[in-house]
Amino acid sequence: MWRLVPGQSLNCREWDGEAVLYNDVAGSTHLLEAAALDVLDALRAGPFDAATLAARLAAQLDAEGGELVSLIEEMLVALARLDLVEPC
Amino acid sequence: MLTVAALPLPELGARLRGDGLLLRTGPFVNCVRTDVASLAAGIAAMYADYPVEAPGGFVDFHLNLRRPRGLRQWLRPQVAFDQDGLAPFQPLPVAQAYPMLEWLLNWCVSQRAHGYLLIHAAVLERHGRAVILPAPPGSGKSTLCAALVGHGWRLLSDEMTLVRPADGLVAPLPRPVSLKNASIGVIRAAFPDAVLSPSVEGTSKGTIAYLRAPRASIARAAEPASPAHIVFPRYEAGAATRLEPVPKARAFMQVADNSFNYPALGRQGFDTLARLVDACGCHTFRYSDLGEALARFDRLAREGA
Repeated sequence: MWRLVPGQSLNCREWDGEAVLYNDVAGSTHLLEAAALDVLDALRAGPFDAATLAARLAAQLDAEGGELVSLIEEMLVALARLDLVEPC
Repeated sequence: MLTVAALPLPELGARLRGDGLLLRTGPFVNCVRTDVASLAAGIAAMYADYPVEAPGGFVDFHLNLRRPRGLRQWLRPQVAFDQDGLAPFQPLPVAQAYPMLEWLLNWCVSQRAHGYLLIHAAVLERHGRAVILPAPPGSGKSTLCAALVGHGWRLLSDEMTLVRPADGLVAPLPRPVSLKNASIGVIRAAFPDAVLSPSVEGTSKGTIAYLRAPRASIARAAEPASPAHIVFPRYEAGAATRLEPVPKARAFMQVADNSFNYPALGRQGFDTLARLVDACGCHTFRYSDLGEALARFDRLAREGA
């Protein structure tokens, strides 16, 4: 299961499929694909595992099945490196 | 309003040697004290139209440029600097006193003016639209800025864009435009009427000269401007004039990289920059022909973001 790191308010702006996000915990700013933002946004209602996130986001991300689950798993690992999400 | 030009030269010198000349540049009051005679002439020439505040008034930055005492002053005259007692730079040859004053005025703003989002960028305005030019040294930013000034654009700053967090507008800080090496001749040739300071050779940035800010820009120093475009310029010998869009999220990151205090402002910096990028068209601009560049910028000033 994954959750947002406590204290992250996900203050972000999205333009043309890309987004910038202010990391409240680290004080840094990240350039993200809009899909990563969708994952973070979905985790507001979390925690969820990658399969549940895939099911919730399938329509939004226009993908499905095992491929989407592994894509979301990769994304979660990358977002964890930025201290935006953490396993729980 | 008292200006530097209205002060007789002996009085200007006396203030500089005494309690300080309270020189207003944009939103800031600088108390300049110096015993370097050539600086009085430089200030008189380049800051003639700037307001002078009454002695004893509020001061943002205290700048002291002094000739160090001792034997060295006879052998190789130098000028040293301190700001509120801090001495962040090594002394320089006295011939470089004027560029040092300009660098110090920039340094004070970049270190202290955290009421603004400070971007290392030129900013100019025409038809009510401000164009911000963030760029690293060597990109031709100052040459382009000087050419736009010569072409009638309002100068807000050639070095420091001050974005107000409260309303997202750009506060002007018009000061002399710094020109380096080949740019000096380019601007002299293109704008024979432009007033330039004497060239100073052998600085850490090569030969340097300053273009006096237009009187009309100084007169409007209290009038903020609405940002409309962010343009990342790049001079390339032989390049065709080309303006191309930059995705906004990438422009955001580039401007953040060119900011003096974005990390220090935290969430407020993010919100201010996001609002700025929202309001602006974002572009890269490659050029080699100054005339074509000016024509393209004139078109840009007529277009909204």
